[in-house]
Formats: sequence, C-alpha cells, structure tokens
Amino acid sequence: MSTSRRTIAATIAGAAALALVVTGCSNGGGAATGDEKITLTLATFNDFGYTDELLAQYTEEHPNVTIVQNKAATSNDARDNFFTKLGAGSGLADVEAIEVDWLAEMMQYSDKLTDLSGSDVDGRWVDWKTAAATDADGRLVGYGTDIGPEAVCYRQDLFAEAGLPSDPEAVAELLDGDWDNYYEVGQQYVDATGKPWFDSAGATYQGVVNQIQNAYEENDGTVIATENPDVKEAFTSVLEASATLSAHLGQWSDDWNAGLANGSFATMLCPGWMLGVISGNAPDISDWNVANVFPGGGGNWGGSYLTVPAQGKNTEAAREFAAWLTAPEQQLQAFTNAGTFPSQVETYTDDTLTSATNEYFNNAPVGQILIDRSNAIEVAPFKSVKYFPINDALQKALTRVDVDKSQSIEESWNQWISDVKALG
Amino acid sequence: MSAQAVDTHVGSAPAERVAPRRRRLINRQRPGWMAYGFLLAVILGSVFPLYWSFLIGSGDPTTITKQDIVWWPGGNFLTNAAAVLSNESVNFWRAIGNSIIVSTVVAFTVVLFSTLSGYAFAKLRFRGKTGLLIFVIATMAVPTQLGVVPLFIAMSKLQIAGTLAAVILPAIVSAFGVFWMTQYLSSALPYELIEAARVDGASMIRTFWHVALPAARPAAAMLGLFVFISTWTNFFWPFIVLDRQNPTLPVALSLLQSNYFVDYSVVLAGVILSTIPLLILFIVAGRQLVSGIMQGAVKG
Amino acid sequence: MTSTTLDDERRIRRIAFSQKLSHWDVRISPYLYISPFFILFGIVGLFPLLYTAYVSVHQWHLIGGEGDFVGLDNFAFVLQQPQFWIALRNTFSIFLFSAVPQVGFGLIIAAVLNENLRAKTFWRMGVLLPYIVAPVAVTLIFSNMFGDQYGLVNNVLRGIGIDPIQWHSQEIPSHIAIATMVNFRWTGYTALILLAGMQAISRDLYEAAAIDGASKVRQFFSITIPQLRPTLIFVIVTSTIGGLQIFDEPRLYDQFGQGGANSQWMTITIYLYNLGWGQLNFGRAAAVAWLLFLIIVLIGLLNLAITRRIAASSDVPGERRSRWTWRSVRHHEQKKVEA
Repeated sequence: MSTSRRTIAATIAGAAALALVVTGCSNGGGAATGDEKITLTLATFNDFGYTDELLAQYTEEHPNVTIVQNKAATSNDARDNFFTKLGAGSGLADVEAIEVDWLAEMMQYSDKLTDLSGSDVDGRWVDWKTAAATDADGRLVGYGTDIGPEAVCYRQDLFAEAGLPSDPEAVAELLDGDWDNYYEVGQQYVDATGKPWFDSAGATYQGVVNQIQNAYEENDGTVIATENPDVKEAFTSVLEASATLSAHLGQWSDDWNAGLANGSFATMLCPGWMLGVISGNAPDISDWNVANVFPGGGGNWGGSYLTVPAQGKNTEAAREFAAWLTAPEQQLQAFTNAGTFPSQVETYTDDTLTSATNEYFNNAPVGQILIDRSNAIEVAPFKSVKYFPINDALQKALTRVDVDKSQSIEESWNQWISDVKALG
Repeated sequence: MSAQAVDTHVGSAPAERVAPRRRRLINRQRPGWMAYGFLLAVILGSVFPLYWSFLIGSGDPTTITKQDIVWWPGGNFLTNAAAVLSNESVNFWRAIGNSIIVSTVVAFTVVLFSTLSGYAFAKLRFRGKTGLLIFVIATMAVPTQLGVVPLFIAMSKLQIAGTLAAVILPAIVSAFGVFWMTQYLSSALPYELIEAARVDGASMIRTFWHVALPAARPAAAMLGLFVFISTWTNFFWPFIVLDRQNPTLPVALSLLQSNYFVDYSVVLAGVILSTIPLLILFIVAGRQLVSGIMQGAVKG
Repeated sequence: MTSTTLDDERRIRRIAFSQKLSHWDVRISPYLYISPFFILFGIVGLFPLLYTAYVSVHQWHLIGGEGDFVGLDNFAFVLQQPQFWIALRNTFSIFLFSAVPQVGFGLIIAAVLNENLRAKTFWRMGVLLPYIVAPVAVTLIFSNMFGDQYGLVNNVLRGIGIDPIQWHSQEIPSHIAIATMVNFRWTGYTALILLAGMQAISRDLYEAAAIDGASKVRQFFSITIPQLRPTLIFVIVTSTIGGLQIFDEPRLYDQFGQGGANSQWMTITIYLYNLGWGQLNFGRAAAVAWLLFLIIVLIGLLNLAITRRIAASSDVPGERRSRWTWRSVRHHEQKKVEA
C-alpha cells in the first residue's frame, strides 16, 4: 500500500509540474516594431463581432503578431476583472474593451490608460463619442467601437387593437415630440386596452436622463445630482407616468424576460443591441416593428471603447491594433457579425449599413433608422467619476417605487439623497 | 458466543431465551418502508434541479419563460449539447482537462495535509496545540472576496498568474479539511490502537501510516469528494486569475451566457455536460465510502 | 556493579540513542505534521489577511491605490451607515433560516441513512446530488421559481387561491427564498458529514441500550447526539462561518447582484463587494471585511459554547460517561477475560 501511494503521489506531482510548464508561458515582452514576434491580447465581453476571420486579417498584414482574444461573458464580469487587475497593477490585456459607464469612472485615473490620440484617427467618430473618452488634459484614452442610438420598438398588432395607427411612418409621426407626448399616447393606449404601455420606469428614465447635458456632475466634477431640478423632474415625471403605463418589470430580470416572451407591453426604447434581445426572448411573436422616432429627438444608450492599459508591455503595437479594429471597414464587419451599430461616421454612408434590414422586425430598415436616430442626438451627457454609482442608486430608487412598490416617490427620492451623500 | 458472557448481564434470563435475541441484535435489522419512502422523497427533491436543467436544456430558448411547465423533455438536448461542444469561445475539452487536473491535485493534497494535521491535532500532544487549532478555525472566518486583490498580486510576483498553478496553489491546504479530520479522528480513532502500535515499537510515522490512515479512510474519501466538487464548481478566482485560453470548466461555460440575450437552453445543456464527470466520480467514490465504512477498522 | 563488556556498552549506547531518537520523534513529529498547512497558509492566507488589515486603515481607491493613513475612520464610517446594519440584519436572518433547518433536517437524514439499508451507495450519494449542480443553475432555477410576477411558486399559490407573495420585493420572503436555495444545496452535504460521524460510533453502545429496552428515539438522543459531539461542533461552526459569509446565492438572486433595490437581501459580503468594486472604495471594504471577521469569531464561539452544552458528554477517559458507554466497556472487559 505504501509503495503504490508513493507512486501515485509522484505521478500527480509530475503531472502538476508538467501542467505548470506547459501552461506557464505567457510573456509578451519586447518593442513594437515589425520584426520581433509579439503576442497581443484582446479582452472583450458580450459579443463585439470580432470573429477569428476578422482577426486573421490583421495577422496576415502583420505576420509577427499573434492575437489572442479573451472573452468575458457579461459587462459586469469584465468590469470586475478590469478593476481587480488595475488595482493589482498587472494582468490586464494589451487591448481592453470598456463600456462607457466604467470609462466614466476611470476618468479620474485616466493616466493608467495610454494616450491614443493621433492624426490617423481624427474625425473618425461622432463628436460626442470622442468627447466622453477624452480626459481633462485632452488625452484621448479610448477608441469608440459601437454606439446605441435609440428608436422606439412597438407591437403593431397591439397598436391596431387599441385603435392607434400601426404602420411605421404613422407611428413615427404619432410619437414625434417630447416625453409628455409619449406618455399621453401611452395613456390613450392604456385607456383603450388596459394593458401596459412600456416595460419599466428604469428603462424609460435612462432615455430621459441621457438627454440632460449635466445631470449629476458639472464639467469640473462637482456633484450636483441631488440639487439638479432636471433630475428631480425626470424622476418624478417618469414615476408618475409609470403608475398607469408601466408593466412594473425590473429590466433584465427573469420576470422581464418572461414579460417579453408573453408580449405584455406595447412599446420599448430600443437601441440597436436591444433588437437581438427582443428577437431572442420572443421568437414566437411576429408583430414587433421599429419606428424611426424617439421622444425628445434622439438618445444614446451604451456603447463601448477599446483602451490600451499603460501597464501593458506593447502599448505601441496595441494602439496600432486598436486603431485598425475600430476603423470603419472592420467595424462594418463587426456589425454584420454581431449587430453592433458602428460609431464611425464614414460607415453611415456605406451600403452595408444603409440597406440593413431586420427580418424579425417585419423587415424594418434598421440600418437607416439607427443612422437617422444617431444624427438626431443633440446632447452628449457629461459623465465623470461619480456618474455610475449615482445613476445606479437612482435606478434602485426607481425600482423601489415601480417594481417593488415599497415606497412612495417622495420617500424613495429622499432615500436616494442620503445614499448619494453616503457615497462620500 | 459462550453463554457465560450473557450471564453477567443484569437481570439475565436463562441462556436459551437470551441467545436468539443476541443473534438478532448482531444481524442488524433492515429498516421498514417508511425509511425508504422518506429517502425517496429526499432524493426526488435532490434530483429536481438536475432534471429541470435537463428539461430546459432539451428545449429551445423560450422554454425557460413558459408559464405552463412541460414536465417531459423536448428533443433538442443533443443539438444544444453539440452547440456547446462546438462553440468556439468555449473550448470545452480543454476546460474539462484543466478542471480535472486542478480538482484532482487539490483534492489529493488537501486530503493528505489535512489528515496529517488532523491526526496531530486530534491525537498527539504538543505545546500550543489548542491555540494553533483555534487559529486554523479562525482563518475560515476571513471573507474571501477581499483576498482576491492581494492574492492576485502574490501570484503575479511568483510569475504564475494565468497558469493552472495559480488556481492550485492557494487551494492546496484547507482549514476546513484540517478541522474536519481533527474532529473525525478525535472520535473515530481510539487511543488504545495508537498505544498498541507504540508499545509494539512503531515510530510516529509508522503509527500514522498503519493506524491513523486506515481509520481515517472514510472521512478522507468524503473530504476528497467534497473538495473535488467544490474546486470543480469554483468560478470567481479562476475567472480572475486564468488566461481565457486556459480556462476551467465553469469559466468556460460562463461564456455561453455572453451576449445581451442569453439562450438558456444551451447554457443549461452545458451545465448538464459539465456535471457528467462529477456523476462518474460519484459512483466511484460512493463505493469507496460505503466499503470503507463497512470495513470498520476501529470497531470494538 | 561489575564492569560491562565493550559489546554491552555498545548495546547500551545503541539503545540509549534509539530511545533518544524516539523521544525526539515524539516531540517534533506533531510540528512536522502540521507544518505543511501553516507554511502554505502563510503564503496564501496570511498575506491577504495582513494586506487587508493594512488597507483598512488607509484611504484606498481600487484603481488609484494607496492614499493617506486614516486610522479607524473607515471603521467609524461604515459603522454609522444604516446599510451596514441592514446588511447585518439580513445576514443573520438568512443564516437562521438556513442553518437551523440544515442541521435539523441533516440529522434526520443522516439517522435514516445510518440504518442498514439496501443499496446504500445509491441513497447516500443521492442526497449529495444538489451539491454537484453548478450554483448558476441552482440560482437560475430558484430565482425563476420565486419570480414575483411569473414565477412557478406564485402560480401555484394563485392556483390554490392564496395571494402571490412578493419574493423579491419584500425582505422576509426574499430571505426565505434565498435560505431555501442554500438549504437545498447544503443539506445533503451536512447529512453526509453527520453520517460519517455516526458511522464512527461503536455498535456496542446501541446493543447495550437495546438490551436495556431503550427505544430508537431514546437511543438517538442519549447515544447518537452525545457521541456526535465533535462532528456536531464541526457542522455548527462551519455552517456558522459559511452562513455569515454567504455571497453567491444572494448575488445571483436578481439581475443586478446588489442585494435588492432597497437592500432587502443584501448580506454583509455583498455590501463589502459593493463598497470595493462598486464604489471602488477599497479601504472601506477592507474595514467591513475585518468587522465581519470579528463578528464571525464572536458568533462562532457562542455557537461552540451552545453545542458543547447540548451534546454534553465526553470521550476523554475519567470524565462522566453515559450509562451505556460504561456498560459497553464492561462488556468489552468481560470478552477480553474470556479470550
């Protein structure tokens, strides 16, 4: 017994050692010029549309470079990973994808990201996209990948039932206007059918707040969230409307998914990436359509950037790679692969985009619709360090009233004020 | 046995009447149907999540949101399973290999070091024993979340971040394991056996090898099983520290959830697939546990 | 005494030397046996511990790194936050809802498994099945089942005519739902640990008791429970520690992972995580970690004292033994005499 145990122990120790050796090689040292072999790691999440074929195009032009893509499942996983390794000072990929919300949090420490400005990328993106990624010193720290211009998705059958016009042009006219108009039409719908108009207060609120230039912070970083009358107005009006118009579903919850599948509400604010969510959750429903309209004109929800962490070993090569990835040609490919709407202005005149339609949405010309909506965006909300936690707390406040129904509007607002103070 | 032993009991009855009672006591009674019924109910409850996962995994993306539950599986399991295995981001076979390596090594080392330490704490005398034991238990009270950042720093300094070693090393010893073996050995290993071995002239290590280890076998098998399973299902630390090209199974499977819309039929098919190696281990380890207990090396 | 020969002297020296070796063997071996644990723990356990303590007395931003030394300010701040106390309340509530059923039910299951069943392997491994299912699947199932509007449980309740319960919106229902998830996962596990302890109890004790006419229930309370004391201590201490640190289940209970819009089910570890990774305030998160550590040690000691009281008996020679332990010892001695 003793001998066999010793043999087993030795074998396992040997296997472990072998595993260490085999898996232990992960260096990427060296300068960026074209001759030395380097490995660039690219970290993304969700689905950026960077398939192996697309990445292979780069390695063909740069044979000394090997690309390794690391994917995280969700934006939250990626954020946890990103901040942990920033804190640890090592371990980040050469090119890290970041969502705009956490980019805002990074701004205070933007020196941990490499300056990516250069004449080769000037004018590539819409203004407000680059503004969000430029720090106080004028350094551009992120290259835009996709954006989320919003339109309104609606159920044409439910509209018809309620006696409202149901073809896309007519709906666009109907909903064209401000948020009060959106709520009024909604009230008509609810009066006629007794069913909810939109999915949640949370989603509607983010449409409203993204049209406010300085919602929570002044341009110099002072927090004005709790005193800003625009914020209070947005909060109160959305919740008052939600009392009758909302389906009271927490966005992204199981109930919300089931609500989509069971077709319980008639409209939804729809950025480009939401189309896939709807078609995935409700494959049996055939009456979703997209109207080329948005209350208040236009708005953006989400969107990502590629950054190059300063702790990397090949920042020059990484910058080159990131610039290539976010060039109009490559972004169009990504759009075809994953439906992520490009942020590069050149693409807006490209056929691939202007002629894109979506079969699930009754062949709506989604490409053109989103281009129009993107052009209609007037306000680039200023988001800095405290934006994310403050907005988070406000979303919770909305949930307390709309979904949980555990507090009144005033109570929830007051609790939010003390939560913001506690953020210190 | 001899009737003499029986006579010494208080209130002893004549030999013939007592003997049959003794025999019945020696052959343990089989329990009645109530015990089996109860266990069946427990097992049905235990199997439920696995079955539910299989139900969803054999359906389509909408199965999980359906209001009326269909208790019979759909026909899509193999399609979904194929989708999991062929998914290019998931790298399933590599992940299984990694998980097997990591879980086996960790289970083995934890059992070994825990049995050693448990034996020492339970049966040997040495200075500072109580204090050290309390310290061991107290270390379990430290929340693991915060340890992630310093641990990652430590792994980077040791140059093993990104490799399987970074997942194995922090898990090699377990306070839980030490505590468990201590408690088990303190009741399952009588001093008489140890003394008998020492009287026969065995050194400490021989005593450990020939007396303590066999006594510890059932608990060691159980500990090994538990550690294997918990290492297998561990997500957060491997997610942080491993390169994506070199994942363990839960990390790889989480990629099935990537994208704004999550197709749970594929995700749960993946869950079922990842449970199969554990089920195999179950059957193997199960026999070990039962046979080890039956051997009863230390029964009076 | 007459002088010994050279051989004799050598023999004596050899014996003396081997005695000395044996003496050292006994003194040093224990430390050698426990050293692997402590050495490795020093690297992977102690370092994070000390690092966290260091961080907790500084202003520390997760990205920005070390700031000024602020002494106990982080602790003072956290202790004044209503969120901290709410999280503490939630943690205890969920803990009680989960620990008590787990141990109680686990004991019952273990007692039944301890019987002389047919197909032992099947039954014993069967109760462990919930443990092998990935937590993501378990929480998916349960949070789906406990959905406020479309969940299975509320559908069933509506069917019987009871009002649906707000499993996510309200505090106590959310605690019950999460405790159910935890119990589901861990009860079989607890049962097996208790079973292993039960299997180590000598059969003779039960035989002696049965001869005296004790019922199964009496045997259970007077033999099994006292003899299980080390195992019970283990189970209660580890479930205390684990229960107060609970993280995965509450985190996955809804899509945000923050413990509810009104902190309905926010546990201390989630609060810690929100501070550290949500607000990026590492210093305060470290303070919470140390506070939690102290709380766990306190409660752990409390539970230890309670368990000792309940399972009062001992396996140390010379102390009070239960009636049937003495009987079995006498029985043993009788057998030895005959042999």
